[in-house]
Amino acid sequence: MKPHSTAIETHELSKRYRRVSALTECTVTVPEGRISALVGPNGAGKTTLLRMLAGLTRPTGGTACVLDDVPRQDSAFLAEIGFLAQEIPLYRRFSAEDHIRIGAHMNPSWDASLVRTHLTQLRIPLDQRVGTLSGGQRAQVALALTLAKRPRLLLLDEPVAALDPLARRNFLATLTGAVVEAGGGLTVVLSSHLVTDLERVCNHLILLAGSRVQLCGDIDTLLAEHKVLAGESGRLVRIKGPVTDPADQTRTVTLEQLVVAYMGADEASADTHLTTIGEGS
Amino acid sequence: MTWLVWRQYRAQGAIAVALLAAFAAVILADGFQLASHWHSILTTCSGNSACLQQQVPLVNGVVSDLPDISLIVPTVLGILWGAPLVAHELESRTTDFAWAQSVTRTRWLAVKIGWLLLAAAACGGVIAALTTWWSGPINALSASAFVPGQFDTQGIVPIGYAVFAMALGIAAGTVARRTLPAIAVALGGFIALRLVISTFLRPHYMAAVTTYYKVTGSFTPPGQAWVLSQGAVSRNGVTVAQGWGDLYPALPASCQRLLPSAPTGKSGSENAVFSCMQAHGWRGFATYQPAGRYWPFQGIETGIYVLLAAALIGLTFVIIRRRDA
Repeated sequence: MKPHSTAIETHELSKRYRRVSALTECTVTVPEGRISALVGPNGAGKTTLLRMLAGLTRPTGGTACVLDDVPRQDSAFLAEIGFLAQEIPLYRRFSAEDHIRIGAHMNPSWDASLVRTHLTQLRIPLDQRVGTLSGGQRAQVALALTLAKRPRLLLLDEPVAALDPLARRNFLATLTGAVVEAGGGLTVVLSSHLVTDLERVCNHLILLAGSRVQLCGDIDTLLAEHKVLAGESGRLVRIKGPVTDPADQTRTVTLEQLVVAYMGADEASADTHLTTIGEGS
Repeated sequence: MTWLVWRQYRAQGAIAVALLAAFAAVILADGFQLASHWHSILTTCSGNSACLQQQVPLVNGVVSDLPDISLIVPTVLGILWGAPLVAHELESRTTDFAWAQSVTRTRWLAVKIGWLLLAAAACGGVIAALTTWWSGPINALSASAFVPGQFDTQGIVPIGYAVFAMALGIAAGTVARRTLPAIAVALGGFIALRLVISTFLRPHYMAAVTTYYKVTGSFTPPGQAWVLSQGAVSRNGVTVAQGWGDLYPALPASCQRLLPSAPTGKSGSENAVFSCMQAHGWRGFATYQPAGRYWPFQGIETGIYVLLAAALIGLTFVIIRRRDA
């Protein structure tokens, strides 16, 4: 496996529904093996982007390249994508075991023992209707089923939104465990509003606002590029080069500060309302 | 995929098989009784058709509704199963689970629809076969094989109805995306279409045969033909259906006076009226579909419903393939 190959590369990917634009000219790159946080206000286009990457929704403009392939309805492509929708869709009347058997019939490679072992460890009953399980247990069942496909790309749409803190922690632990186990062969895009959670598990960021990409890149790099001014208002600024003006004493920025600053952006890029300081290098 | 269909429908399948078994038990028990009753009638009447006709109706009460039940069950099952096939999965978002597996939407739909249409055809076929067998003695005494309630419940047309009902339910559910409205629309649509086709289309599947005969004589098409209209036609092409009331104003004045219930003039016999009509160039006519067209008509009607079902299934595929999920 190539160390620096890209898992996702989109170029001006757009989606319009009649007169509403859900996503506008989205250009992002996610290197393979990353856990990417997809953040943005409600309606920013996160779900649309994930669904287009999963081959479920067709773009109205631009291109997407996912795992060196065009996302589409093709069993070979679908086999490599693990997609978990926001509502944690499961057949409520079926047990986890039923789902495991359905998955075995609908996927070329299927690791049933992975699901069984994992759910048993979490003490989640396999023979009980999933409708009777707690939200956290259902999310774990759904994630385990998604991982059983042995996907190379995992697209998770706000899977922890409805979970309590402990269930969230367990869910994310399962996720990071799977990424470690895959040894760089698994890329994850995870959308969420809970930046503290994302800060713990993610090393890549895609920030959407106003249906456009505001930020995309390695979290550490992005944090290094931004500083909070020490004096006066504590404004967030972008650092383009060495800061020479002694008045510009700066402090490091947290992911939360960064996200909140860019989330306020409307139609145009956040560049306009963010001051850039430092000498251009 | 097939396993998913089996897991999703095994409970409903068991209910359908139980219903089918109950229906078979009733119709077999009653059918054997009816058959022995029929044989005793045949012995008693020994070929006397007037004697046989006195036995009509052969069955009374609830049992006489068996053919209607046989018609309702596959239709209702088809719509009740067909409407949720896509709609319920969309409502409960389970499409997001199914479509996230390594199976394309097209294949998912094809397998589900394939098995359910097969089930509908099997259900309709079994019930039609049982009803056809049970109706043997009733058919033998029937004047026409095309009577509604007889033509519609026997042979192969019930298979067409069952397949169509299922396809209509599926398509309605796909368009409406919600189960309950889809059931309502499909049920209403099915009933309306059945009425339109059986009333307006069925008599014209093939050009009807018209036979002219002496108005003083009589004519009955051979076998259990379907008489669409019968009456008298004048030299100028004025047609009058059977019945004196309609006939009166159309007749020449000289014949009118001969009518038994004529308001003026002396009363005459029916034969005198017919002779008078014949003298004025009237002829008797009968327009009918010959008895031999029973199976062609069954085939045409089944074909219409199967083609409509195919169109609805095609529409469903187009919608699901084009739809953004």
